[in-house]
Amino acid sequence: MALLELRGLNKHFGGLHVTNSVDLELEAGEIHCLIGPNGAGKSTLFRLILGEHHPGSGDILFAGENITALKSFARIHRGLSVKFQVPGVFKGLSVRQNLEIALQRQHRGVELAREIDRLLTFLNLEADQAQTAGNLSHGQRQWLEIGMAVGLKPRLLLLDEPTAGMSPEETHQTGEMVQRLNMDGMTVLAIEHDMAFVRQVAQRVTVLHLGQVFAQGSIEHIVADERVAAIYLGQAHV
Amino acid sequence: MDIATLAFSALYQFGDAFAFLVLSACGLAVIFGMMGVINLAHGEFIMCGAYVTASTVHAGLPLPLAILSGAIVAALVGALVELVVIRHLYDRPLDTIVATWGLSLIATQGTLIMVGSTMAGVGTPFGSFQVGAYSYSIYRLVLFASALGVLGGLYALFNWTRFGVLARATIQVPHMAAALGVDTRLIYSLTFACGAGLAGLAGGLYAPTMTLVPTMGATFIMEAFVTVVIGGADVFLGTAPAGAVLAVVKSVMTSWQGQLFGQIGLLVAVIVVVRILPKGISGFLLRERT
Amino acid sequence: MNGLPGFLRRLEGPQTVGRGPAFWIMFAIILAIACAYPLFSDGYTVGNTVYFFVWVFIALSLCLIWGYGGSLSFGQTAFFGIAGYSYGILTLNFGSAYGFTLVALVLAVVIAALFALLLGYFMFFGRIAGVFLGIVTLAVTLMLERFMAQTAGPEWRVGVARLNGFNGMSGMPPLTIPWPGGDIVLFADIGLYYFVLGLLVLVYLGLRILMNSSFGNVIVAIRENPERAEMLGYDVRKYQLITFVIGAGLAGLSGVLYTVWGQYITPSSMGMTAAALPLIWVAVGGRSDLTSTVIGTLVVLAAFQALTIYGSQYALVFMGVLLVLTVLIAPNGLVLGAMNLLSRLVVYRGKGGV
Repeated sequence: MALLELRGLNKHFGGLHVTNSVDLELEAGEIHCLIGPNGAGKSTLFRLILGEHHPGSGDILFAGENITALKSFARIHRGLSVKFQVPGVFKGLSVRQNLEIALQRQHRGVELAREIDRLLTFLNLEADQAQTAGNLSHGQRQWLEIGMAVGLKPRLLLLDEPTAGMSPEETHQTGEMVQRLNMDGMTVLAIEHDMAFVRQVAQRVTVLHLGQVFAQGSIEHIVADERVAAIYLGQAHV
Repeated sequence: MDIATLAFSALYQFGDAFAFLVLSACGLAVIFGMMGVINLAHGEFIMCGAYVTASTVHAGLPLPLAILSGAIVAALVGALVELVVIRHLYDRPLDTIVATWGLSLIATQGTLIMVGSTMAGVGTPFGSFQVGAYSYSIYRLVLFASALGVLGGLYALFNWTRFGVLARATIQVPHMAAALGVDTRLIYSLTFACGAGLAGLAGGLYAPTMTLVPTMGATFIMEAFVTVVIGGADVFLGTAPAGAVLAVVKSVMTSWQGQLFGQIGLLVAVIVVVRILPKGISGFLLRERT
Repeated sequence: MNGLPGFLRRLEGPQTVGRGPAFWIMFAIILAIACAYPLFSDGYTVGNTVYFFVWVFIALSLCLIWGYGGSLSFGQTAFFGIAGYSYGILTLNFGSAYGFTLVALVLAVVIAALFALLLGYFMFFGRIAGVFLGIVTLAVTLMLERFMAQTAGPEWRVGVARLNGFNGMSGMPPLTIPWPGGDIVLFADIGLYYFVLGLLVLVYLGLRILMNSSFGNVIVAIRENPERAEMLGYDVRKYQLITFVIGAGLAGLSGVLYTVWGQYITPSSMGMTAAALPLIWVAVGGRSDLTSTVIGTLVVLAAFQALTIYGSQYALVFMGVLLVLTVLIAPNGLVLGAMNLLSRLVVYRGKGGV
């Protein structure tokens, strides 16, 4: 049984058919990357999975359960977690407090403090824990948010352009972090533009174009596909 | 009582309510719709227009000119307020509400101190006419015509004049407008002044029908807000239809149960509409990418 | 603080200013002065101080909903009025025997909270937020005021309690504590003073604990980034509703205490000016902190009262100017700014300075 299943998902915004009959299956334990040119509808798909938007038609199944009608927070309870493209940390609060808010639903007291410390070490933010989150560097804020998303110990982690704005070095470190999480059992679905990152981590790749699934398969298969190169260069018409 | 008289009475009530709602609201709608600023001192700009109109009438000016002067003074005060206060708060919408409330307090109490608790009013001109067993004020018909005139004038201003087009551009995409050489600060000032002037116009137009007290703005503000919230951000697709719908609600409720229930009807309407159509009528009509 | 039981440790935390022995010693000193104060003062001044204390609860309610929660509500005076009138209706009908006035106090607060539950459900579960929340709550407050103002006729009554329109309800019994030997009646004097002071301390400490707990964490998280809070698994609407209801209860407490202090309640306590005043106290004090709100409220109230000898219109103009200036220049609050400055100086000197 697939961990995440999208069946015939459709979404319109006004006259724009942003998500067009999307079918997707994600197996537990995989790292799956979602790529495609800008405007392909990748972020919209995330928002549909998370419940921020409601699909016009189609179903979303998570671990066999139909979650299409559930509110966002309820989906988080079921084991989803997200890191959005624009860093969504609590800018006015300290780094430690950011993590506390993420973890306090599942931990209490001494155990909570210990988990926070563990996460701080994992994220390399121990020294900055009292710092206001808004004062961190862009890369640190991305990591903090990944940390918050990961701290929920989700079954499926959604990452929307996790390496946006990062240096090649930071990108590689993020890739290693994702692989470490995956080895501990986390399934990851990531939207990415950075092909180095995709090549580093992806086990399977889905290519989205104009709201539709254009191609799907292993990373080698996708990279070798001429049509995929063409849509990035604007030559293909679906 | 035959159908024709009944129909006329209903239409008259509707027209009267529509005029009040539209005239009270359009100034607020321009400022809120175009700039996203909630101006809680809106009632006080209306009061300003009314007071200036009354003073100039007493000084000898004919009523139409007096009303115009009321609108102009209100616009000038609006420009000053924008410069000193509003300008600094564009990125803080909740603080704008709080600050304009402070201004409202200053204006009502200040007027009370300087001018006293009442001001000598202006008589309603033109007298009345009969239809069936009832007499109706001719001036109210003038007000209805004015409401339509104001809507028409605003449409012309924002769609056919240079200022109007620049204003809409600036408000929708300020940095692009600035990049094209538009003085965005000036546009914001003028738009706010326009909204204030419209409020002053409403005050001037209604001055002959009301007792002038420093807190008279409160009579208009609730209805103005209700119309703007239900209408949404666009003056033509929002305020006008909202005014029409609410005029029906208000006149029906008023003739059924009296003034108070007319007002309560409006307030219930706003609570319900905000729940169902969070962006108002115009937001619903202009449904765009979420 | 580490030796204390869990919840007392929460008296300090990220959501409140003031920590460490220096702060709590000062708190104890001020509390001691407040307790001793009536013994050195006359009945009138004490009664006046009670009047000031009464308003602190509604200020705290706004602090909670607006400062911590980030939602601007103009509805607090509505709950103030609802609770005040409820107390009046209950006690005028059932009297003050057997400590009923205390029951009525609790019931009135509960009634206000229930009203908030209904209104809040409508708003927060309807995703009404930001400026629209302000408008809807303002509409409700004004609607209530207008409605109550026209209840002048004898047909407007609940039981034997006439609503009395513009003139308001009066003559309700003051708080009476049943006591063997003779009931203690709390007129606007020393008795009521200690009662309200006790409530004030309880509420203040209780709110400190609440806001520094995980609940408080979620509330400020929602203020900072509601989308992120939802994506961490928190039902944002539920937390906003709970905060709103607690706030209504506090505003209602102010309403009952006010009614009990002067033995009257009028519709003007729900009018535009009445709704503006808590806003001014909280904005000037510093809405994002409990302590600055309490101090700011008391200071501005005292200043307002001092100015009304020149005429209430001048006092109100001053208040309006104060509000506008605070919003423009010190949006985080004058008192809070001063407190932060003070604590930085203390820390600086504590570290031995340079």
